[in-house]
Amino acid sequence: MRARARLLLLLPFTALLGVFFAAPLLLMVAISVSRQSFGELQWTFTLHHYARFFSDAYYIGVLWDTLVLGAIVTVASLLLGYPLAYHLARTRSRWKPFLLVAVLSPLLVGIVIRCYGWMILLADRGLINATLVERGWLAKPLPLMYNRFGVAVALVHVFLPFMVLSLTGVLKRIDPHALEAAMTLGASPRRAFLEVTLPLSLPGILAGSLLVFSLAISSFVVPVLLGGFKVQVLPMIVYEQVLSVFDWPFGAANAFVLLVISIALIAVYIRVTERALRGIV
Amino acid sequence: MDRALEQGASLSEARAADVSLRGLEKRYGATRALAGVSLDVAPGEFFTLLGPSGCGKTTSLRAVAGFVAPDAGDVLIRGARVNAVPPHRRHVGLVFQSYALFPHRTVRQNVAFGLRMQRTARVEIERLVADALALVQLPGHGERYPRELSGGEQQRVALARALVTRPAVLLLDEPLGALDKKLRDHMKIELKRLQRDVGVTTIYVTHDQEEALTMSDRLAVMRAGHIEQVGAPREIYETPGTVFVAGFIGNTNLLAGRSRGGAAVECAGVTIATAASAPAAGAPVTIAVRPERIRLDDTGRLDNEVAATVAHVVYQGETVRYLLAADGGLELQAVELGRVRFPAGSRVRAGWAAADARVLLS
Repeated sequence: MRARARLLLLLPFTALLGVFFAAPLLLMVAISVSRQSFGELQWTFTLHHYARFFSDAYYIGVLWDTLVLGAIVTVASLLLGYPLAYHLARTRSRWKPFLLVAVLSPLLVGIVIRCYGWMILLADRGLINATLVERGWLAKPLPLMYNRFGVAVALVHVFLPFMVLSLTGVLKRIDPHALEAAMTLGASPRRAFLEVTLPLSLPGILAGSLLVFSLAISSFVVPVLLGGFKVQVLPMIVYEQVLSVFDWPFGAANAFVLLVISIALIAVYIRVTERALRGIV
Repeated sequence: MDRALEQGASLSEARAADVSLRGLEKRYGATRALAGVSLDVAPGEFFTLLGPSGCGKTTSLRAVAGFVAPDAGDVLIRGARVNAVPPHRRHVGLVFQSYALFPHRTVRQNVAFGLRMQRTARVEIERLVADALALVQLPGHGERYPRELSGGEQQRVALARALVTRPAVLLLDEPLGALDKKLRDHMKIELKRLQRDVGVTTIYVTHDQEEALTMSDRLAVMRAGHIEQVGAPREIYETPGTVFVAGFIGNTNLLAGRSRGGAAVECAGVTIATAASAPAAGAPVTIAVRPERIRLDDTGRLDNEVAATVAHVVYQGETVRYLLAADGGLELQAVELGRVRFPAGSRVRAGWAAADARVLLS
């Protein structure tokens, strides 16, 4: 009885999720296998749009670029985030709350404002290039924007908190004495890190990487603003197809491809963490 | 440790090392964690650092392991100064209260870790790990993960892991602190047996005086970053050198008074005959008398006797503790074995021998 009463607590959120998340998603899948003629959707079953996607080198190229961008952003966030998370997990400094706010600060700024901020820094006549050129250190500005680099920088900036928070939680739970035990047993600090801390933080690395990767491959505003349409990613194709070309079925198929990649990643994540966690928890 | 010994000998044949601390000092901001700690631990000795939290016992232990760099003073292992030697080259074994086993590794992998770091041959590792697990009475547990073991079993794995590399010194940081009382009592005996069998020099840190008294060959009572007294358990218990030691180890009647010269001290109007001669007359001193040395309504002649009222009776099962209010204002505790002889409110004569009254400088 009590258990059933408790299930009621889940009802509002389940309803919300059902109406505004699951239903549209199912609709999208349905649209992706339907036909459209003269703006009218015909509820049939066809894999035509998927076939079109996977037979066109252009779309495959965009998919590849999207995944590469996701990988770059994920690896960069991990490399920047790990030391930061390690410090946050271990420090007893009274500045810790401030540091935490600083880590979270990118999330407190609106996405468009954040992008314009990066433009001011990265543009050809932006702060960095202007300084370098005016001082005569460079003849012409560095290509910092309207390319993959600029997009990646801005994405790392906003997704770093997800990586850091995922890692901090896991690193905090590692007994610092385990590291010391490894050292007294003859492991150098580097070896002790590789043998103890790193494997024990694997769940956090995977969780953070998964989050960042999924967010990065589905980002739209940042690639548009800092890529200046020179960097093509899948969400932009979806946007284009749905809102400019009005080819809803093909747009939906694109979106579904993106979704399947995310789901596949989550499945792999669960598999791997289950194995990594065998001894832990 | 030399190569032949490391490879050939079984655990019990490792040559024990001596450890010395010379004037160790360590400051953390305004706190002096170590204020000149010096001690010598003999090869094969079970040496305990005993004291309340914050007394510097763990800091001293960590200085031996190499995790604390002293501001001044030296750490010597086998007579060699090791201050500049990093922890992974000191060849010490360390066991924590939290066990600190590697949760992602099996028991066998945990125990093999140190051997793997020493690049011991695989066959040799197999054999030594099996020996070590047998030594701590956990054979056949090798493929389990730490979380599948009880607290006591985890602690024994931690011991096996620390001992399997035949360390120069075994450092134990409150290793029994996380166990329940029954298991702790069992592990106390087990640990002591293991230490004697292996013959490894051991430094044991605890705040539990009972552990210190039952397990140690010698112990050092620490307080506020320095050593108050070093000695064998009986010595520390029976002849405490300071008021702090007398109060920290066991229950003690501490009576403040003034020396009357000779072997007599006046406490609250009562003159008490003491073991050793008190300092110059008029000096403030404290007398320490163990509660179990106080006799109630004894028929024999005792050097000191006061009339008292039983204020409170604490029944403790095998012992009975009486809180006594002596005429003249002294408060005493007495402990007896067995049944309750005096109910609260009874009048008794409390007496003790002069030899049992230790004079301590206040």
